[in-house]
Amino acid sequence: MSATTGLYLSSTGSYPRIGDSPELQALRRTIAALDRGERSHADLLDVQNEVTRHVIAEQVKAGLDVTTDGLIRWYDPISHLAGKLDNIEIKGLVRFFDTNTYFRQPVFVGAPIKRGNLVAGEYSFARNALGHLPTPQGKAGKLSLKPVLTGPYTLGKFSLSEQSGHGSSKAFASLEARVEAYAEILASEFEPLSQAGAELIQIDEPAAIKYPNDWAIFEASLAPLMQAHDKIRKSGRKVELALYVYFHDCAPLYEKLLTLPVDIVGLDFTYSPKLVDLVASTGSPKWLGLGIIDGRNTKLEDPVQIARQVERMLPKIKDQRAFLGPSSGLEYLPRDRAVTKLELLSKVRAELEGQKRP
Amino acid sequence: MSRQKLESLGLKLPLFPTTSVGSFPKPDYLTKARAEFNKKQMSEKDLHDLERKATAFWIEEQERLGIDVLVDGEMYRGDMVAYFAERLPGFSISGLVRSYGNRYYHKPIISGEVAWRSPLTVDWWKYAQSLTKKPVKGMLTGGYTILDWSFNEFYPDRRSAALALAKVVRKEVEALIAAGCKIIQIDEPALSVRPEELPIALEAMEFTTTGQHAYFITHACYGEFDKIYPGMLDLAVDNFDLEMSNSDLDLLELFRGHPFTKDISFGVVDVHSHRTDSSEVVRERIKQALTILPKEGVWVDPDCGLKTRTVEQAIEKLRACVTAAKSFRNA
Repeated sequence: MSATTGLYLSSTGSYPRIGDSPELQALRRTIAALDRGERSHADLLDVQNEVTRHVIAEQVKAGLDVTTDGLIRWYDPISHLAGKLDNIEIKGLVRFFDTNTYFRQPVFVGAPIKRGNLVAGEYSFARNALGHLPTPQGKAGKLSLKPVLTGPYTLGKFSLSEQSGHGSSKAFASLEARVEAYAEILASEFEPLSQAGAELIQIDEPAAIKYPNDWAIFEASLAPLMQAHDKIRKSGRKVELALYVYFHDCAPLYEKLLTLPVDIVGLDFTYSPKLVDLVASTGSPKWLGLGIIDGRNTKLEDPVQIARQVERMLPKIKDQRAFLGPSSGLEYLPRDRAVTKLELLSKVRAELEGQKRP
Repeated sequence: MSRQKLESLGLKLPLFPTTSVGSFPKPDYLTKARAEFNKKQMSEKDLHDLERKATAFWIEEQERLGIDVLVDGEMYRGDMVAYFAERLPGFSISGLVRSYGNRYYHKPIISGEVAWRSPLTVDWWKYAQSLTKKPVKGMLTGGYTILDWSFNEFYPDRRSAALALAKVVRKEVEALIAAGCKIIQIDEPALSVRPEELPIALEAMEFTTTGQHAYFITHACYGEFDKIYPGMLDLAVDNFDLEMSNSDLDLLELFRGHPFTKDISFGVVDVHSHRTDSSEVVRERIKQALTILPKEGVWVDPDCGLKTRTVEQAIEKLRACVTAAKSFRNA
């Protein structure tokens, strides 16, 4: 078994949707033109499709094994999903964690109802786009694309219920009720995602480690997701559920995270200086997402140093299987630096394999 | 206490002084000019002339509306952090990153040791002040927020970067005071973003303002103030300018639990909406404030900068502030 057995290079979710050159700014221009009434929603869809193809191609070119659609169509991690539900209104801007980015806050005005798919259609398009790319040498059968969903606890935590509401909206005044509602809705998205070919589904729950006092609510919200996951497996299809946490120090919750019923736990190492030591000493009975490359800072890591860290942790991780990637989605970086960060992942793997590439 | 400080600075302000947070919308001719300048189709001097024209417009508008403490409106700035980063040694500018929706900006990179070489805002303050007899605020961004809104590739940790930036901001404060500025606003919108780093923000502001003879205001918004209150009251400023309306005045509940011990610039109109709240709604917000806060310490202004509104909307929102403040002043 080589040192990299089971080490996959993986995206953590979002990707910068524009770059600095005029040709990389089509999406920005089109949205601005749409706002002015000079373009249609069909035009926007065309550009979103093109940008999605482009960012998948960039991830593949950088050497990733597990890609995403870059969440190019998402307005933000909260309203993209909540905004597709009936009886949820999307309101004002709220800062997203400690990023200098903002999301629009959902407000329950009644029981949320899902009329169509949330991301399965987008996933299907992206997976098809990946399939049309030329397969790089040595990657035949190894490339995949995972869908990403913001988790029920994070969605519920950042939603409100109508203050003056009564009847059906009042029923969602509690965090538990909102999280439970989102959990049922997200669970129902697993089947269409699986039907579209998803074998790995990523659930993002950054709020779970920021607000540990709500752990019981968060943990309970995983039950419907696991039921949906188990149902797919029982039907003979493969599906793995990855839970990613970021934007806060996860080390104090490391052992609790490993008790969760998911298959993979993705960790942000940038807030936790001692996390490498913790993983290397404690090990993990689950497969891990190793978010060691800082997805929030332009400073480039030393691939040799990262390789040494991975080398210490990998033997202690179940099956020596881990997903090396950025600490979070890459949309917080300029496009050129996001590419460089992904290329760095390949350098880490090359270092581990002792085959430094030029 | 802070009224005494204002008076010691020679400033006699009415009850419920009205002001604004800093930025105003740029008139269309200036937006167009900035785009032309970026495409190298306009000279720096021509752009500068239009920025002065727009500044004069906003000073005149504020005078006309009856605002008590004016701002220059930041006609010459794009972003509140990038403006400084583009002019300070030690910074480089990254490619575009997204803020929200379809808004992108060039996020600064701290790529070397930051330093202050010459004043960055003083000429603009002098120009704006020359147009009015009312006090004009000096407008700066605090060291902690400049750090938080930049990529840090140089300093070993966030504290050392914030303190290096605080040193730079202090130099600019000294330059503004030397020019005659008596009220200086040092914005720290990132103040509440990482509650565990409040000590760093406090240390940076202490370093910036201690021993400086001016009335200091800070603006903060969009945060989890419950996590940093009342510790934030230790920030070395006289006045907190807070976004109150957008959060349905929920900060007042915090103030009930522990007295608010500074002056406050109380945001009474939401800046994210195209329409202006009715005068009844604005008056009610002030009334709510006065159930907890002593009237001598309450200033009245919009929630945040108005640069994302149209010129007409911004004027309406400012008018709502002035009308409401005057009605309480005369009550």
